[in-house]
Amino acid sequence: MIAPAGSTLWLLRHELRLTWRGIIERRRGRGRFARLWVTVALPLILMLLAGVPLAFVLRHVREIPINPLASLIGVAIVAVAFTLMLSQTLAAAVDALYERADLDLLFSSPMAPRRVLAVRFLAVSFSVFAFFGMILGPILLPIAVMGHPSWLAALLVLFCVALAASGAGLLLAAGLFRVIGPRRTRTLGQVLAAILGAAFFLIAQARNILGGAKTAGLAAVVVQLAKDPRFQAVPGLSWPLRALLGEPLPLLAAIGLGGGVFLIANQILGARFAADAAAAAGAGVGGKVSKSFGRLQFSADAFAATFLKEIRLIARDPALIAQVLLRVLYMLPVGFVILRQAGQAQTLALPGSAAALSLMAGQVAGSLAWITISAEDAPDLLSCAPTPTRTLRRAKLAAAVAPVAVMLAPVILPLAVLAPWAAFSAALGCTASVAMAAMMNVWWQRPGKRSEFRRRRSASWMVTMAELLLGFLIAASTGLFAAGLIGWSVLPAVLALVGVLLLSRSDAQIARSLRAAS
Amino acid sequence: MTDALAIHGLTKSFGGKFAVDDLSLTVRAGELFALLGPNGAGKTTTLRMVAGLLKPDAGQIEVFGHDALADPAAAKRLIAWAPDEPMLYDRLTPLEYLEFVAGLWGVEPRVAMPKAEELLRWLGLWDNRGERCEGFSRGMKQKTALAGALIHDPQLLILDEPLTGLDAAVARQVKDLLQARVKAGATVILTTHILEVAERMADRIGIIQRGRLVAEGTLAELRARTGEGQATLEDMFLELTGDGEDGRLGPRLEGVPG
Repeated sequence: MIAPAGSTLWLLRHELRLTWRGIIERRRGRGRFARLWVTVALPLILMLLAGVPLAFVLRHVREIPINPLASLIGVAIVAVAFTLMLSQTLAAAVDALYERADLDLLFSSPMAPRRVLAVRFLAVSFSVFAFFGMILGPILLPIAVMGHPSWLAALLVLFCVALAASGAGLLLAAGLFRVIGPRRTRTLGQVLAAILGAAFFLIAQARNILGGAKTAGLAAVVVQLAKDPRFQAVPGLSWPLRALLGEPLPLLAAIGLGGGVFLIANQILGARFAADAAAAAGAGVGGKVSKSFGRLQFSADAFAATFLKEIRLIARDPALIAQVLLRVLYMLPVGFVILRQAGQAQTLALPGSAAALSLMAGQVAGSLAWITISAEDAPDLLSCAPTPTRTLRRAKLAAAVAPVAVMLAPVILPLAVLAPWAAFSAALGCTASVAMAAMMNVWWQRPGKRSEFRRRRSASWMVTMAELLLGFLIAASTGLFAAGLIGWSVLPAVLALVGVLLLSRSDAQIARSLRAAS
Repeated sequence: MTDALAIHGLTKSFGGKFAVDDLSLTVRAGELFALLGPNGAGKTTTLRMVAGLLKPDAGQIEVFGHDALADPAAAKRLIAWAPDEPMLYDRLTPLEYLEFVAGLWGVEPRVAMPKAEELLRWLGLWDNRGERCEGFSRGMKQKTALAGALIHDPQLLILDEPLTGLDAAVARQVKDLLQARVKAGATVILTTHILEVAERMADRIGIIQRGRLVAEGTLAELRARTGEGQATLEDMFLELTGDGEDGRLGPRLEGVPG
């Protein structure tokens, strides 16, 4: 079927093509190998490792019992999917407001802006569904073939959830725009998206954050609630599960609900959102007044000037803040565990937490080092300055490391009082991990743009894997060292050191590769 | 008197193709020199090598007597480079940008602070000093970049297409600024496709084509060379760059659909 040019279907096809290319590039970079990986290899691996074994286990199960606990699990699955999808659709809605890309071109065409946005949000729904679908599809397919074909309805339910999340994302972004204005929406929207993305991880980690006794109490309340006849009588509690399993009526309700939320949000807010998007282009970004960090401090010292510039740019980058915040959120449970264990003089979990802390510190430092080293906005300005490259590089690395130190301090400093050895081990591990990540970003720098931050890892698969592997080795060494197994900690440390030495590059090599890249 | 810039036998090739081919050129101290040439002639490549952004394959570059290849830092201290695309940070304000650039060139704060204010006021950006550059128009960005280029009081100011995309008022402001710098004793090298600007402002003009210098001198010297007493720079440019007879556009326009 060929859609006529300028029609909604034609635009949807265009948007989906761009979305598909984006998915492929995000996953594995460009090229035939990337397409093969996403379309064939990954689904095949999932099917063989998870789908087929599950299908064999479930082939004799006639039907899933619809009891309160199973219903609660069904509700939880849909809620988790909705929240994770909402995180992505909210980010997409904020992007639609500020990352103009082709929006100006589309708005200047004879197509109604409202229709343009509706199609874009439909494509967003497809995009968030594709992520879940690519994971769930290969698992569900063998199960469906081996006796449960109706379970494929779960994919349809997920698409409906994606539609609802898309509508809710639109609603949230438009609401933020109205309440806090265009300037703050960009930052808050991206931060909110990050928090939503991590929400279920944090809930899953509630035991680590709140402590065993409190979460045990909470779990008891949930079990009690499930047994309560009044709770069992809540209408529709089992419908998400029934829809997932393919029962016609609940499935129709899911389609109606997902499609309804999407249509209503677009109907009510479409025109307003289009106006907001136009307003964001003019007033939202332009003329933004910045408060300088402290007072302006003119300095003849190139190191100080570059450090201050990098810190300012980091602090003013909402996408970067959201990403770093996400990692900080993932760090939170580890921080709570390490401090509580130390406070209760329980040393069992301390080594593992110290190791995890070093791994995450390296991850955050790596992200920031990529921004300061590779995503330089004005490389020619620095190249034509009389300042030695080493001075500039040191300042940039210092700016990347400083925020990590600030984030680690609330954990390491109290720990130094409660469990000095664990604090020393964690500090040592974090330092090694941060230094490794920072140097990897110097040696293997590749000029990029700040806007490519989310896709920075696709630039070099080998370096990404090496950085991760070295991070794990350092973390292992940190854990063993914290556990007092100093002799054993040497082995991973030496392996990490050898890896670092093998990957190191001279200034001349770096300059050569930068010249080749430019 | 030492020349501001002396280039000898400068050569640069990309993938076997010569962008700059054995180019020799001299720019005297205190003059405004216009470097002209058709697209792809090697103007920007030449200037990028002078600014220390590209390494030549062969040749010598001297900036006020300093060997720019042997001691790039000494040469860079005297130079300011302003390309056609402003080298700015969208999330910094003009004042913060000047603070950063002053730091890079090691300008003492007691000098840099009043200088920054003076430049921003002169360029009409003082009221926007606290706004981030991301919302600026092209002209405002160009002026901010120009202020950055001037914050360390360079002796040699190199500008690549400084008037591209500017409205008449901003273009006039930039031209005035350049002439003021030359009056104050600085040397300015600029490339431009607007030949009237070169004709009116430049003390001397160099024309390069396919990486080689095809003519150099004052307007009068160029006229004498081409033997056309009243010729405009455009006429001479077209003749010297080989687009002479058929380059007078008239015959070509005949085939253009109207």
